[in-house]
Amino acid sequence: MTDTPPELQPWEVFRQEKDGDPMRHGGSVMAPDAELAVHYARELFGRRQESVRLWVVRRVDVLDLSDPDLLQPPLDRSYKKPGGYVMRDKLAAARAQSGQAKPKARPG
Amino acid sequence: MTDPLALDPILAPLERSRPAFNDDDLSHDERFAAFEAHVLAGGKVEATDWMPDEYRTAVLRFVEMHANSELMGVLPEREWLMRAPTLRRKLALTAKVQDEVGHAQLLYRVAEDLGKPREAMFDDLLAGKTKFHNVFHYPTVGWADVGMIAWLVDAAAIVAQQALRDSSYAPYARTMRKICWEESVHIMHGRDVVVTMATGTAAQRAAIQDALDRWWGPLMQMHGPRSPREKDRDLHWRIKAKTSEELRQEFLSIYVPRIRELGLVIPDGALAWDGAIDAWRYGEPDWDELRTVVTNHGPMSQSRLDFRRVNREETRWVRETILGVAVAA
Amino acid sequence: MNSASLPTVALGHLLGSMADDEFVIGFSDSEWTGIAPLLEEDVAMSSLAQDEIGHAAALYGLLGELTGADPDALAYDRDPDEYRHARLLDHGRGDWAMTIARRYLYETSDAVRLEALIGGAWPPLAQLCAKLVREERYHLMHINAWFVRLAAAHGEPRDRLVAALEALSADASTVFTPLPGERALLDARIQAAPMAELEARWRAAIAPTFEAHRLTMPPAATSPTKGREGHGAAFAWLWGEFNQVRRSEPGAVW
Repeated sequence: MTDTPPELQPWEVFRQEKDGDPMRHGGSVMAPDAELAVHYARELFGRRQESVRLWVVRRVDVLDLSDPDLLQPPLDRSYKKPGGYVMRDKLAAARAQSGQAKPKARPG
Repeated sequence: MTDPLALDPILAPLERSRPAFNDDDLSHDERFAAFEAHVLAGGKVEATDWMPDEYRTAVLRFVEMHANSELMGVLPEREWLMRAPTLRRKLALTAKVQDEVGHAQLLYRVAEDLGKPREAMFDDLLAGKTKFHNVFHYPTVGWADVGMIAWLVDAAAIVAQQALRDSSYAPYARTMRKICWEESVHIMHGRDVVVTMATGTAAQRAAIQDALDRWWGPLMQMHGPRSPREKDRDLHWRIKAKTSEELRQEFLSIYVPRIRELGLVIPDGALAWDGAIDAWRYGEPDWDELRTVVTNHGPMSQSRLDFRRVNREETRWVRETILGVAVAA
Repeated sequence: MNSASLPTVALGHLLGSMADDEFVIGFSDSEWTGIAPLLEEDVAMSSLAQDEIGHAAALYGLLGELTGADPDALAYDRDPDEYRHARLLDHGRGDWAMTIARRYLYETSDAVRLEALIGGAWPPLAQLCAKLVREERYHLMHINAWFVRLAAAHGEPRDRLVAALEALSADASTVFTPLPGERALLDARIQAAPMAELEARWRAAIAPTFEAHRLTMPPAATSPTKGREGHGAAFAWLWGEFNQVRRSEPGAVW
C-alpha cells in the first residue's frame, strides 16, 4: 500500500432480483477500491436479501452510448419490427377469394 | 419484493427522440426553450443531460436539503438505539436508522452526480448555509417519541416522497421509488410501537399522548406554508408534483382517523373535516416557529450540528488515509 | 442424545457466554450507526451490529428452550455482574481503530469457537452454529479488509491500531476463558476441544497476519479463569443504557 491517499470514486451496481431475471441497474456507491466497493454494494443493494446476484463496476469503466444518430437513426426501419408487416387487407382478400372464414383461435 | 420501477437503467430509454437541448450547435435560449418544453411535456432529465442553470440549481438545492434531512434525522432516534427495550425492537430500530443513513447515501449520490462533492455539502450543512427539515430540530425525550417519529414523521415524509416518484429529474425519481419502498417498513414499525404503548400501562398511554402533544405542531408545519401553485418554481420544473397544502391534506386524511382509533386526542381543537370545501380545517400552524427552527434556532439545532461537527473531526483521519476523499464528479 | 443425558447446566454456561458476547458487541458497535467515517461504511457496520444482535437472539432463544426463560428476560434482566461476556468486549467502541482491533480479535476468536461446535452431538446447537458460520463469513471478510488496511498504512492509522491492540492486550484472549462444566461438554462431544486448545488454534490462525504486518501478538491472559467477570465502568454504562427504557416500566410490553 502506498502513501498517496486513495480516491473515492463511484462504482455502479447492477442487481438480479431472482434466478433468471436480467441484471438491472440499482444505483452507485462511493469506494476507494474493488474490495470495499463489493462490500458497500452488498449493503446498499443486498442487505435485505433482495438480490441474488450483484455486478459492481467502476463508473469510468462503463461505456455510455446514447448518441441518437446511432440508436435512433432517422430512416425507416420498420422491416426490422413486427409492426412493419400489416397484412389485414391482404388476408381479407385471400379469405374472400377462397371462401374461407377467419380461422378460430383453437382448432375444431 | 422490489418495485421494478425502482430499477430502471441509468442509460436513457430507447423511446426518447433526439433531445434538442443536448445539441451544442443551438443557442442557449434555444436550448432553454427546448428543455422547458421537454420537461413540461413530462420528459425526464438524466445527470448527463444539458440543463439550464436555474434547473440544475433548483434540483440540487431540493435534493441536498432532502439528503441533509436524512443525515440529521438519524440523530433524534440514534440515542434510543442503545435503549431499545427488547431484542426485536433493537433490531427494528437499528435497521430503521440504518435505512435513514442509506437514504442519505442515495440522495448525496444524486447531488454529487450533479456536480457538488459530498464534503462540500457537509461543509455547507455544518456552516448553516444549507438546511434540514424542521422535525429534526426537536428533542426526543422517551421511547414514546421513538414510536411517534417512526410512525407520523415518517408518514408525513412518505406522503411527500410518494409525490416525488415521478420527478422530472430521473435519478431523483428512481431514488424516491427505492426510498418509498423502504420507508413503508418504518411506518409499520412506528405504528406497532405506538399501538403497543397505547394499549399498555397507564404510564405508557400517557407517554404516547404527551409525545403526540409535542410533535403535532412540528408535523403540521413540516410540509411548509401554503403557497400559490403558479409561484412555485419547483412545481414549474416538475421537480415536485404537489403543493404543500395538497401534501398536508393527504397526510391528515390518512392519519387523523388512525390516530383517533387509538383513543388519542389530537391537540388542535380547530381540526375538523369540512365537507363543504372537501378539505380539513385546522388551527393555523406557527409559521414563525418554522422559520426560526429551519434557520437553525430550534431547540436541538446547534447541539446536533455540533455533534456532527465533532464526529466528523473524530473520523477525518480514516477518510484522509484509508477511504479517500472524492474528487469532483 | 436424549434429554436425560444432556449436560444442561454446562450447556447453559456455554450458550450464556456466547449470547452475552454477541449481545454486548452488537449493542456496542450499533453506536456507530449514523456516525461512521463514510456513509457507505456506516450502513455496513450497522448490518454487522444487527447480525450480532440477531445471533444473540438466536442463542438466548436456544438457552430459553433449555431453561424455560424468555429470551428478552435473559438478555436484559440481570445485574451487570451477572453477565458472562468476555472482558475483551468490555472495551467500548472507542475510535474506528479500537472498534476494528476489538472486532478483529473477537471475530477471529468466535470463528475458532464456532468451528469447535458445528460437528457437535446436540443437533440444535450444531445446526445453529453452522448457520452462524455462514453469516460470519461476511464479518470475517469485512474485518480482515479493515484490519489489513489499518496495519499496512503508514502513520496515523497504524499508530492508532497498535495503540488499540495494546489497550486490549490484557483482555485479548478472554473469549477462550474456560467455562464451568467444560468437561461435560467435551465428554458429550458437544464441544470438540477445550478452550485452552481453542485459544492455541486461534493464536496459530492470527499469527501469520500479525507477523506479515509486524504487529505484536497479544500476550497470554493474566487471569485466565476470570476473563468473563469483573466488567467495569464501560459495561456498567452500556447496561444502564440498554435497561433505561425497559426498567422505566418493569413488566410492560414494548
